[in-house]
Amino acid sequence: MIGKLLTRDRRRILYAFIAGIVLFAIGQAVRPGFASFDGIRSILVVASFVGLVAAGQTFVILIGGIDLSVPWVLNAGAILMVTSSLGSDARAIPALALTLGMGALVGALNGAGIALLGIPAVVMTLAMNGIMQGLTLGLSGGMTCTNCGAYAPPIVQAAVHSRFLGLPIVLWLWLGIIIIVSFVLGATRFGRSTYTVGNNARASHLAGINVSVVTIVLYALSGLFAALAGIMLVGFGGQAALGMGEPYLFQSIAAVVIGGVYILGGRGHYLGSVAGAISLTVLVSVLLAFNMPDYGRSIIYGVVILALLLLYGREEDSA
Amino acid sequence: MPEQTVLMPSGVRRGRMSHALVQNVGLVLVISLLSACIIGYCVIYYIAQHRFPGGFELTSTLDNTMPLAFAALAQTFVVLTRGIDLSVGGVIDLTNAVAAQTLNGPPLQTALWTVAILLIGGACGLVNGVLVAVGRLQPILVTLATLSIFQGIAIRVLPQPGGAIPPGFTSVLANPNYPTSLLYIPLIGIIWAIFRRTRLGVSVYAVGNDATAASSHGISVKRTVILAYTLGGVASAMAGLFLAANATAGDATTGDTYTLTSIVAAVLGGVSLFGGRGSGLGALFGAFVTVMVVNILFFSHIDPLYQTFYEGLFLLAAVVSANMIGSFVRRRR
Repeated sequence: MIGKLLTRDRRRILYAFIAGIVLFAIGQAVRPGFASFDGIRSILVVASFVGLVAAGQTFVILIGGIDLSVPWVLNAGAILMVTSSLGSDARAIPALALTLGMGALVGALNGAGIALLGIPAVVMTLAMNGIMQGLTLGLSGGMTCTNCGAYAPPIVQAAVHSRFLGLPIVLWLWLGIIIIVSFVLGATRFGRSTYTVGNNARASHLAGINVSVVTIVLYALSGLFAALAGIMLVGFGGQAALGMGEPYLFQSIAAVVIGGVYILGGRGHYLGSVAGAISLTVLVSVLLAFNMPDYGRSIIYGVVILALLLLYGREEDSA
Repeated sequence: MPEQTVLMPSGVRRGRMSHALVQNVGLVLVISLLSACIIGYCVIYYIAQHRFPGGFELTSTLDNTMPLAFAALAQTFVVLTRGIDLSVGGVIDLTNAVAAQTLNGPPLQTALWTVAILLIGGACGLVNGVLVAVGRLQPILVTLATLSIFQGIAIRVLPQPGGAIPPGFTSVLANPNYPTSLLYIPLIGIIWAIFRRTRLGVSVYAVGNDATAASSHGISVKRTVILAYTLGGVASAMAGLFLAANATAGDATTGDTYTLTSIVAAVLGGVSLFGGRGSGLGALFGAFVTVMVVNILFFSHIDPLYQTFYEGLFLLAAVVSANMIGSFVRRRR
């Protein structure tokens, strides 16, 4: 009975959550109060940014792709949000729509290049990252715009900082996204198409699935989520900064993989990526609680990822 | 190329010739691309400076390219086995940092440390290879994790940019006065030609094309993969040494950008990310194309803030046109 409920994929999600809980316990032992309600809440807020990016990364990794354009789509989203809203609530809604639209459009272009022009995903999204970096730096003039009120509108800041039933609104938003994404992947035609394409694109095509459309939509979603993470980050910090998206590339990929999503596609759940995002964020916080210097954090971060991979990320069939 | 096929006397030879063309279409393309870049660079340089680029430009371009050339070579060894090495930047960081801390001594000590640094690079690659082959982990994940580890060790070795590289070392690897780096191009070509003919070289291509088939032909896939990553590590260490020689100092973060640019150079050089196709020579030329594009953009008076925008567009245009030409040539066969 338990064996049947705990399929391999579910077991991996469970492991990732357990890793997070163990890390919380270690943190609590090192620094009492680490795993208090306040402590957990603030770690979850930080994890939500990784988790949002990881939602998009999960989508594209499920079809065996990867999105390396995340850093500068996120960064462009953050800067577009503050420069188009000019820090006023009245303009917040159009600015939100513009920013999310930009993210989805850039993502769709990624998908189109991969699906229609046959460019490898690594190359397409890597080039797109450069294109977005150049556009962002060029159009913002290196962020020298000091008098244009480059702040996030108060309601966007409130979305991260103010609370509803004890939790910041961004966490409710993340919860909503977790439910929607899990539903879309688990219980809709589109979700089934995604797994099918990830398992075998050619067979999916022969079975009547429009592989190109699925690919384009998934990459558009990845761009959308990166832009959304950018919006939430400016809400969190109040301002946009150049290079703010860089840490989210490797973190989002690591979160997805730690959560048991198979890097070659076709297997895994967003809930796993959520667990991965939380575990990674707790890990970083624990290392900070140890007063670990930068280099030590970097080394342990890599070692822990390797350990988790060796624990449950191994291929079944060795060639 | 109809001219070539007409000249061939027998059907067998013609088959071999067009087979060679199909096998090396990536190499032919990158050489054409590089030629176009060099011509474009000379024209734009002439318009900007009212003279043609001379020895100084040649020397600085060569010295700037060599680290990337070795990084691209490192990437090629691994990508040929259908892997990918994201830790290239980390190995360059680490070896660069060690170089800055150790090379400034008597010549014999410098020479010994140079060998030690190459061994360190090889050890890094060995770790990657063992984790991939024996640990049965995905290359992209292993090297993502080891990238973080190598970066951390590099910062521990050299917390602040600095250290000193002896002038003698610089004059050998990246002589600022004479284009001596020109010598390294045929050297890489010879090394690659030898590698391609060794048992290991053949195995690397076989494993990249079809690991199961290679295995059933008696090739040890694990051994091949481990050695390919190890060679990649040594090549990354070379990149770290050339970078140190060129900068005459060390920096534990200077290698970070090479992870992605090494992939760009390899892809431009016709190395297929799906394994088994491409060559180190192509990657070398791909590195030169990458650097020449930056040079062209510089002399085109493009706002440097937009630089990555044009690089991205160029990468896409190059890959799309290479795809189209490649499939055209294959269809004609």
